[in-house]
Amino acid sequence: MSSPSPIASIGGAIEFIFASQESNVTGGKKVGGFDKSLELVVGHLEVTFLALGLALIVALPLGLYLGHRGRGELLAVGIGNAGRAIPELAVIALVATLIGVGMRNVAPVLALLGIAPIIVNAYVGVRQVDPAVVEAARGMGMGELNVIRKVELPLAVPTVMGGVRGAAIVIVATATIAPLAGVETLGDFILNRNVYGENGLLAGAILVALLALLLEGALALLQRRLTSDGLKLKTA
Amino acid sequence: MPTGEPASSQRSQTGASSVSFQEATKRYPGSERPAVDRLTLEVPAGDICVLVGPSGCGKTTAMRMVNRTVEISEGDVLVGGSSVRDREPARLRREIGYVIQQIGLFPHRTIAENIGAVPQLLGWKRDRIARRAAELLDLIGLDPELGDRYPSQLSGGQQQRVGVARALAADPLVMLMDEPFGAIDPINRERLQNEFLRLQAEIRKTVLFVTHDIDEAIKMGDRIAVMREGGRVEQYATPAELLMAPATEFVEDFVGADRALKRLALMRVADIDLWEAPLAHVGQASAELRAKLAGPGVEVPYPLLVDAERRPLGWLSERDLEGEIVPGRADSPLGPVLELDDVMRDALADLLQGEAQYAAVTDHQGRIAGVLSVEIISEFLKSPEARTDEHPAVERPHE
Amino acid sequence: MSSPALLAAAGQVGEGFFHERSSESLPCQAKAGEVFCWDWARENIDRYGAPTLQHLEIVLLSVLIGFVVAFALALFAHRTRWLQPPLLAATGVLYTIPSIAFFFLLLPLTGFGRDTAIIVLAAYTLQIIYRNTILGLDNVPASVKDAARGMGYTPRQILWRVELPLAIPEIIAGLRVAVVSTIAIATLAVLISAGGLGTQIYGSGNLTFPTSIIIAAAIVILMALAFDLVLLSLQRLATPWRRAALR
Repeated sequence: MSSPSPIASIGGAIEFIFASQESNVTGGKKVGGFDKSLELVVGHLEVTFLALGLALIVALPLGLYLGHRGRGELLAVGIGNAGRAIPELAVIALVATLIGVGMRNVAPVLALLGIAPIIVNAYVGVRQVDPAVVEAARGMGMGELNVIRKVELPLAVPTVMGGVRGAAIVIVATATIAPLAGVETLGDFILNRNVYGENGLLAGAILVALLALLLEGALALLQRRLTSDGLKLKTA
Repeated sequence: MPTGEPASSQRSQTGASSVSFQEATKRYPGSERPAVDRLTLEVPAGDICVLVGPSGCGKTTAMRMVNRTVEISEGDVLVGGSSVRDREPARLRREIGYVIQQIGLFPHRTIAENIGAVPQLLGWKRDRIARRAAELLDLIGLDPELGDRYPSQLSGGQQQRVGVARALAADPLVMLMDEPFGAIDPINRERLQNEFLRLQAEIRKTVLFVTHDIDEAIKMGDRIAVMREGGRVEQYATPAELLMAPATEFVEDFVGADRALKRLALMRVADIDLWEAPLAHVGQASAELRAKLAGPGVEVPYPLLVDAERRPLGWLSERDLEGEIVPGRADSPLGPVLELDDVMRDALADLLQGEAQYAAVTDHQGRIAGVLSVEIISEFLKSPEARTDEHPAVERPHE
Repeated sequence: MSSPALLAAAGQVGEGFFHERSSESLPCQAKAGEVFCWDWARENIDRYGAPTLQHLEIVLLSVLIGFVVAFALALFAHRTRWLQPPLLAATGVLYTIPSIAFFFLLLPLTGFGRDTAIIVLAAYTLQIIYRNTILGLDNVPASVKDAARGMGYTPRQILWRVELPLAIPEIIAGLRVAVVSTIAIATLAVLISAGGLGTQIYGSGNLTFPTSIIIAAAIVILMALAFDLVLLSLQRLATPWRRAALR
């Protein structure tokens, strides 16, 4: 395995992203280039958002509700712990070999992986709200719905968003190997070295890393926007 | 200006050192005025010196300069005649007992290990530490088996006592106590105060005691330093002097308008002239008693029934005297019974609470010694004798 | 969106794999509808031995290195407060970058093989261990530290005899998460030829078949569970005072 100097590699990778090149592996056929890169980035984002959305719809209300009622701690925490132990490679592999390929099969499974962090953090986020504050709100005459909306949720935002960010990380990471199950994401560059070459490999890795960081950054910003000023001062 | 005696004995025989503040100053960066401004104070060995004052006056800062948990900016603090600045802080602190309001017991160590913490730092042998811990548990009145428990298993009052025991473990030269009983409920606080005073009577350590409560200061202190912002001492005197002759308006305000009542905490029932009630024995002829009652110079118009040893049994009413002889049982119950040794303030409280006009006072064997009433107390407070009376500062009345 | 070529490739992989096998080890999945072949599992269980050991090796080394580094960083940041936000951010970046991508980013530098895997996995654990250690240390009550200082403990003694013992529950909590996550992610090590149980899921450039995948996944999950329980017991053993409080 020849290892060109790191700088040359990065240079080659950047080139790959922007301009399609002749790959000596596929006998002169052009690979890579901006269009292809963009296509894969979009594909990656597509499956990520789809899965994240599904996970949010299922896990967020459930986790918040359980936390509000104080029930199902074992369930929520158990799922959280179990979720961490599931190997992503096996999940994708099973989808591909048992269920079927394509976005329709992969996205729900990715969503499943994201459910664990969201549900446990939603539960914990609501539970860790100071019971004295909730008492005070009820005492003031706030109905249950208002208590949830105006007191519990705002105070739970940091922890809940932490769970969302965790889910995003695991979904983006697993989406990277989704090509094994027929979904076109940036993992394509990485897993098909024989098609895209060394440059493609590095390009894929760089793009995935950047995408993950940008998504994380965006979610962090969203968290800041959603966090009330009072809380921001406290957790500074 | 602070008043005080020059440090006569640097070290008392029981292993305590004097403490001397010499123009000690503490400046914090960013503040214009120093937190403690040229404090000069002498604490003789074996005394309890209370630093009292409003929040932020610098009393805690001053106390902490002694063990350098607050570093001295200018001036000096001497312990046993030598400057604290000459010692390495950690080593210095191992010789000074330190008790804080929130106690700060190590949650992850047993009670015995907590108490033995400083001895362990000093390198004592294991069995010596164990013996000392057991000794101290006994001294503070805790069951020795509590030594194996953890702090979370003890009540607040018990924890506070362990805090004091921990500070005493290595037999320090000086004790620093920062509102040590502040976090306890009033009932237990009083008990802890009394216990500490009893302890101090035995071990006679030099204690620097910080509090914001003037009543606690008067109760605990041999000498009290009333401070205001900047750690400036408005008056440094014995509790009696403070109450009778406040040096400035600040001290007067701080001590409170009820100075006279506060003085009652310094007196015992024995210090006052008690009234006498006609004594009645069982089987005595009523006529004799009735004659006595009608006679001149009767201070208490009710006869007190006593037994053969002159112990009070009850108060006799008119109806009791209707018969030929004095009955064996009195109509009215005895009500509150006081002892000569009781603190006057507590005696007054008992009287008021018992809604009794008169209370029998006995000696420590239970024999009648006289009768106390609220009137006697108020007369005494108004008298000129009360104003100029000097009470010995060293004798501390306690339960 | 899906290119026919890739679809075909996915389908081909399964079939091609089967066709290359000799008849005696022909997995039952050739028959349609079978999810798990017990016979095959029973016969071939030993082939999981070596990969499991490899997997364990990678995990233990990664967590050890990650812990030592993160712990040291936390002790450092505990003293020098201004370091805390930048360190949190730095370890956060290492956590956010998907391990797969990270493997290949390091490729030009460290090449294929176990070392790359260990570096990446260790980097992944840094944030959780660092953050939990700092949290644990910060949760020590101020009054306890004040008392210790006033009694004559040196700063070093306070750290090792008071703060760290009290921070153990948080530190071990972080370690548990780190270990469980690393056990799962280490399956990806196969992608850079570092071995491990991933080889039974995606060996030599092709996906294997459901039974093999399921067994590998089961071993991973059981391993994670076992370690989690061991660490939990360790934490209980190391903190007798917490058990006493609950009594």
